[in-house]
Amino acid sequence: MNPMPDHWNYVLAAYGLAAIGVIGYWRYLAARARALSQSRRGTGRRA
Amino acid sequence: MTRVLGWLAVCALIMGLVADFGWAPREMTQGNVQRIMYLHVPSILTAYLAFALVLLGSVAYLLSRRASWDHLAASAAEIGVLFTAITIVSGSIWGRPTWGVWWTWDARLTSTAVLLLVYVGYLLLRAMVDEPEARARYAAVVGILGAANIPIVHFSVYWWRALHQPAAMLGPGRAPMPGWMKAVVLVNWIAFTLLFAYFVSRRMQIARLEEQA
Repeated sequence: MNPMPDHWNYVLAAYGLAAIGVIGYWRYLAARARALSQSRRGTGRRA
Repeated sequence: MTRVLGWLAVCALIMGLVADFGWAPREMTQGNVQRIMYLHVPSILTAYLAFALVLLGSVAYLLSRRASWDHLAASAAEIGVLFTAITIVSGSIWGRPTWGVWWTWDARLTSTAVLLLVYVGYLLLRAMVDEPEARARYAAVVGILGAANIPIVHFSVYWWRALHQPAAMLGPGRAPMPGWMKAVVLVNWIAFTLLFAYFVSRRMQIARLEEQA
């Protein structure tokens, strides 16, 4: 007997949003590191 | 080291997903929607770890005035906010089919929302102060005071009458779930902790680059 339906859509929404958050933060860190190393290289060339 | 941590985190997250959807059986009362627990519980436990590190970094900074402790606190706070947001969103999505509401002003939910706001405030404070030493000092004070909310969140289900279930892990007494369920939570907790360690390591590298820029 199953008193509750499965609600797979809720499961997918929870895991999907968590994945978006984690991947989004990872991409933000990668972009920030790239921008900082590029600006350091630029400063080094000018000096 | 950071790269190794990243790959370990990816492998552990894949193992976690296999455990969540391949190994863990369908729960008898709630059905498959209970699988959200394997995301929800490890994410708040990782957030506790993050905010405990904010406390450690803040105290150590005030005692030593070394910038690396401030970098640790700032990095852990940012990632703690991410994991707290995942906890709140996944809990809200789980609450809709099981409680019938997206949100209720229950003690656990409210104290977790306050926890999120405190550390969002911590990050806003850091963004508002330009002078690095003053920023680190003010942030350390907020980081120490904010940590008082961690036990309030965790024990709120025992201190007040709450709709939220008792603590699945780290609660007083035995965890109210079978061994296989605890094992799946543990696998995901290890995966999230590795992901957290990877993010902290990466974020601290960026903080050092920002300081040199």
